[in-house]
Amino acid sequence: MTTLVQYVLHYGIPLIFINVLLEQLGAPVPAVPALIVAGALSRDGKMSSTHILLAPISASLIADYMWFLLGRRYGYRILRTLCRISLSPDSCVRDTEARFERWGLKSLLIAKFIPGFSTVAPPLAGASGRTTIAFLLYDGIGALIWAGAAVAAGRAFHHAIDRLLAALESLGGWALIVVACLLIVIIAVKWAQRIHFIKQLRLARIQPEELKAMFDRGELPVVLDVRSSGARKHNPRSIPTAILWLMDDIDQQLGDLAPHQEVVLYCT
Amino acid sequence: MLIDKGYTKVRPLAGGLDGWIDAGFPVQEVA
Repeated sequence: MTTLVQYVLHYGIPLIFINVLLEQLGAPVPAVPALIVAGALSRDGKMSSTHILLAPISASLIADYMWFLLGRRYGYRILRTLCRISLSPDSCVRDTEARFERWGLKSLLIAKFIPGFSTVAPPLAGASGRTTIAFLLYDGIGALIWAGAAVAAGRAFHHAIDRLLAALESLGGWALIVVACLLIVIIAVKWAQRIHFIKQLRLARIQPEELKAMFDRGELPVVLDVRSSGARKHNPRSIPTAILWLMDDIDQQLGDLAPHQEVVLYCT
Repeated sequence: MLIDKGYTKVRPLAGGLDGWIDAGFPVQEVA
């Protein structure tokens, strides 16, 4: 048996647990590739499918429950912290809030398939006052579906994955370095996207002091409150003159807004 | 979405509503 496979077989389950735990806590380390490889190895009888599934489910429940408790403790403010950690700028909190409000706890069943939503959904569940039992139930089933799908994919494509592992093995000791380099490249790309996204936001954003000064000068930009209804319920206040933006009625609301008009929008 | 629909002067408020409140500026109750 080759060194890389031996290494995976020996440390596979703890590595999967740590990998999934880190990913669910918000770190940019993808867990699906490890689950797929483990699934392929289970197809060959080299690893236990039960152990492979228990590791990611337990790791997900631990990480998600921690976010759930933080959401319950700190409310919607925890989402801002998550945005700083997350390297998925394409999935903004506004979108995830809307998705969670539409589907409720059922969204946890598919949350792990949607980048960004996976980490944001548990604190949203906590912030919106869902019960612990219901949360753990839906989250556990969601983790089972997610991990099960990855393991099933690994089992289905085990021939191709075996060939990939064999190719890596042919590199000898360099195999681990290649895997590590791939991981570093993924993290670096996500980090670069995040920096670019933050730079764009910094260029475009208006500071509260600047907006207040505009009000004081008598300039009246259109201020849009784009918070979700859940966030508005949680904090039933708004900036004076703000229009409560309804995503379902966007075209009618846009009808009253001239294209040259200065618009300031805010969420939580 | 607004920019896609032709609105060019669109800026998000830094810090959101919490940033506005933390700066000590007035708010109103949502009906």
